[in-house]
Amino acid sequence: MEAVKEALQEGRPVAYFPYGEGALLLVERRRSLEAFSLGQGRRLPSLAGEFPSLDWFERTLWERGLELVGHPGLRPLRRHDLPYAFREFPHLHEVPVGPVHAGIIEPGHFRFSVLGERILNLEIRLGYQHRGLLRIMLGKGPEAALLLAERAGGEPVAHALAFAEACERALGIEAPPRAQYLRRAALELERAFGHLGHLAGLFTDIGYAYGATQVGRIRALLQGEVDRLTGHRYGRNFIRVGGVWREGGPDLEALSRYQKELDWLLPRLLKHPQVLDRMRYVGVVRRVEALALGFVGPTARASGVERDLRQDDALYPAFVPAVRQGGDVLSRAQVYAEEALQALEYAQRFLRQRAEGPLAVEAEAGDGEGMARVEAGRGEVFWFVRLEEGRVAQAEGVDPSFKNWRALELAVRGEGLPDFPLCNKSFDLSYAGNDL
Amino acid sequence: MSLLRTLRIGVLARALEEILKVPSHAFGYPLLQPKGLSQKAREGLVKVCPSGAFVEEEGIFSLDLARCVGCGRCALAYPEAVGEMKTLEVAVVRREDLVQRVDLAAQAFLDPGPPPPPRPELRLPTLAFREVSAGDTGLSDSEIALLGNPFNDMGRFGFQVVASPRHADALLVTGPVSRNMAEALERTYQAMPEPKGVVAVGNEAIAGGVFAESQEVWAGVDKVVPVDVYVPGDPPRPGAILHGLLLLTGRVVQRLVGGVVR
Ligand code: SF4
Repeated sequence: MEAVKEALQEGRPVAYFPYGEGALLLVERRRSLEAFSLGQGRRLPSLAGEFPSLDWFERTLWERGLELVGHPGLRPLRRHDLPYAFREFPHLHEVPVGPVHAGIIEPGHFRFSVLGERILNLEIRLGYQHRGLLRIMLGKGPEAALLLAERAGGEPVAHALAFAEACERALGIEAPPRAQYLRRAALELERAFGHLGHLAGLFTDIGYAYGATQVGRIRALLQGEVDRLTGHRYGRNFIRVGGVWREGGPDLEALSRYQKELDWLLPRLLKHPQVLDRMRYVGVVRRVEALALGFVGPTARASGVERDLRQDDALYPAFVPAVRQGGDVLSRAQVYAEEALQALEYAQRFLRQRAEGPLAVEAEAGDGEGMARVEAGRGEVFWFVRLEEGRVAQAEGVDPSFKNWRALELAVRGEGLPDFPLCNKSFDLSYAGNDL
Repeated sequence: MSLLRTLRIGVLARALEEILKVPSHAFGYPLLQPKGLSQKAREGLVKVCPSGAFVEEEGIFSLDLARCVGCGRCALAYPEAVGEMKTLEVAVVRREDLVQRVDLAAQAFLDPGPPPPPRPELRLPTLAFREVSAGDTGLSDSEIALLGNPFNDMGRFGFQVVASPRHADALLVTGPVSRNMAEALERTYQAMPEPKGVVAVGNEAIAGGVFAESQEVWAGVDKVVPVDVYVPGDPPRPGAILHGLLLLTGRVVQRLVGGVVR
């Protein structure tokens, strides 16, 4: 137990799921992964009181029938058939929002406790997108299960890649070099596409129509290149266990043109007085909070946490993550902008570097366990899979949004109610990814 | 000519014919070739399709477009048995019209007869709609949002998104309808004034898609509220969704009958 605590003190949980007799906790510390087996039978000691980054993980374990001894406040996260009590704040006014929202967006419920216009507390209740995805993967072959992994969160390429790599490790195979490059090219295009979407959304939310239209235009054109590379507007049906299915022909010249245009455009947009006025010092997440709650991806990097899984990927030599210190909406926008440009650069490089050779190796049905992590646009995607006779016997996925949702609760604390949509957009989290 | 076009639809927006086309590099919707469906091809198709879109039963071989994830593997492996429909005019009023059924003995498609017309009370020049995401991964939602961008500009067809169901003529629903969203969907529908239409956007909304077997979903919007128009796709491209909206308002005719463009 002391070793677990020490690891959690310095690191952050990556995944925590039922395994064998008890549960398996994976912690990242100093850029390496440490695994801990916890509990005997169905009883686990709760660590959430001391390490709040484990809270939501423990809630999902409890929902799945494990007993969390000593947890400070167990409430369901995904299941709506169990009772759920909102925290009460006497004398404060409550504003409920959702699950159906005013715009076109996934469902979730937000409960604000406000004093006048000021948000003193936000409680997020999710689970509306729960589709039992992990459960229906069981018994399927890797290929059919991959279809589900592609639908786990808002980023199909990253999920497919992590799931495919987990299966490949379980089967002891490796995708050929050409596929490796093509997969990363698709991943980077997905990142650029997503980040530009976050930026366009932020500009829309502050009423900066010029910024929204310009970024939206380039984003729509970029989607055409994702489509050309993968055959799908969002990159589904491209990655397979053992490699990729096809090799499309994106237009390299167009990619470099978009990159140049954005290179000129984004810094100027982000310095516009209207942007500075509405985004600076708003929705702050401090570095200590990001570390204590184990945030990942641009959310963490905008709060000064210098971590990006691409640092460990041999295909990205000497990778330098985009980091900002402010922790506010503006810092997140700056990280998105820098990463979008970086992603376009890498995508072109990978497409130019792709080697000759086969697109995939055939996977034989087999037994084994494997796990993999991929840096998606929103942060770390994790998949674990156990195959028995070529069928999925256990699958566990963690979407970055699952780790980051509570950043929103922190960011809006003390802000005016009308700033909520802006703060929400600055994280742009996946609801489905949380609700697996 | 191009100046005239620009004046009519704007600098970025594309003409309707163009929006309704599948781009040349992309795979459209699969189309069975009745004459090429040999025993070997049929067995192969059932095996090659990752989403179980092909079914053989009592001398009838069928392809459900609402199960297809659009990977194109069937057409690649058995070109004599599966072709391609390069159109986004795929929205239908009747669920059966998304299923291609081939009578193997006659080597011909079964014709389910003419589809019913869209409801006349929804023949509106403009349409305000509300969107409910009910278990969708966010991509169908994203495609609906992109329908409003400067390239597609649905506003010029009289379509707009409104924030409240009280102001809506129609409901667009995405996702297989998770158990946890069913009540919210139903209540949103109840809150709309009459006449009201419902469009199921995407395969998951039509019949659950890859989530069909899950106990946590209803596997289809029509299990919870009545549906007027079904738009297949995974997710459907913005053009296909636009076609669905135009079909709902009776401004285009349904092209797919028995899963085949007629
Ligand atoms: S294109 Fe559709 S029908 Fe053909 S194999 Fe792929 S999912 Fe199945």
